[in-house]
Amino acid sequence: MNTIKTTLLTATTALLLLSGCADKVERIDMNNDKGAQVIGLDYRDFDQAAAEATQSLLKSPALTKKDGSRVILAISTVTNDTMQHIDTDQLIKKIRIELLNSGKVLVTTAVGSNTDSMNKDARALKNDADFDQSTVQKKGTLIAPEMSLSGKIVQRNINMGNGKQQVEYYFMLSLTDIKTGLALWEGESVIGKRGSGKSVAW
Amino acid sequence: MRLFLLTLTLLATLTGCASKSYVKFVDNSISNYIEVDKVNERTRADGFKEIEIVGENDTKYYKQFRYRVTWEDKDGFEVPSVSSKWRTFSAQKNAKFRINVIAPSKEAVVYQLYIDKLND
Repeated sequence: MNTIKTTLLTATTALLLLSGCADKVERIDMNNDKGAQVIGLDYRDFDQAAAEATQSLLKSPALTKKDGSRVILAISTVTNDTMQHIDTDQLIKKIRIELLNSGKVLVTTAVGSNTDSMNKDARALKNDADFDQSTVQKKGTLIAPEMSLSGKIVQRNINMGNGKQQVEYYFMLSLTDIKTGLALWEGESVIGKRGSGKSVAW
Repeated sequence: MRLFLLTLTLLATLTGCASKSYVKFVDNSISNYIEVDKVNERTRADGFKEIEIVGENDTKYYKQFRYRVTWEDKDGFEVPSVSSKWRTFSAQKNAKFRINVIAPSKEAVVYQLYIDKLND
């Protein structure tokens, strides 16, 4: 009888540990997230910064060519100057997608940051007897970029003195005409947050 | 009779079923604070549609709301865009406000702009 009791007790405890006591995990509704803001940067901040940048870029005449053809854009360096471990692609990818879908831009992956190494690897197949040489890319087929998108994400922490802190994030982007070196468009989005000084912004 | 039905169906297909652009308050209580005076529309030289909503906050309260715009092509298919996500805007007390949005592509010709309370 005692053996049965012990077994039952052990089984119940194990079940409680495995299921009932576990923290509930919720999936975020990315289209209507009413969750509390965090002092660091989250996807909502990147969405906002990307939306502001693309709206500003599409409104500017910088990406409109007289003949209606697309601008060949290279993604240059986008520096993360915050205390957070951010992959700046979280911002740039959204902008790239929107610009590509706009029909005004084609992004090259042959040069710049986030290049596709296959551009060069596939050309290294010249004179490789294993490959049908008529299918290997010829010299002079890559298209050079006309414009470059570069930028920086900056974080500024301000101690408010009452146990609170203010954190400001600056998303700064520039579109440069590579032929002339002139910046044809500049964009800046600022996101400010206030919270407990104990909150960690990295 | 058959010809009449066919004509009716054709007319419905050509006109009645086509999506229309509009601006909508998601919650009626929003109209206690702001009203939309006019909606400016234009097609820019590059073929992109641009819209500007001009409204007014007649109250003595500074208010924040949120809006999102969805876009459709001429056939009624959605044109995805980052501007389709909710974004906040401010309506200063006793002042006009403007929401200016450009279409994500030349194909995006029909829009639905929704205005909602910031914290539901």
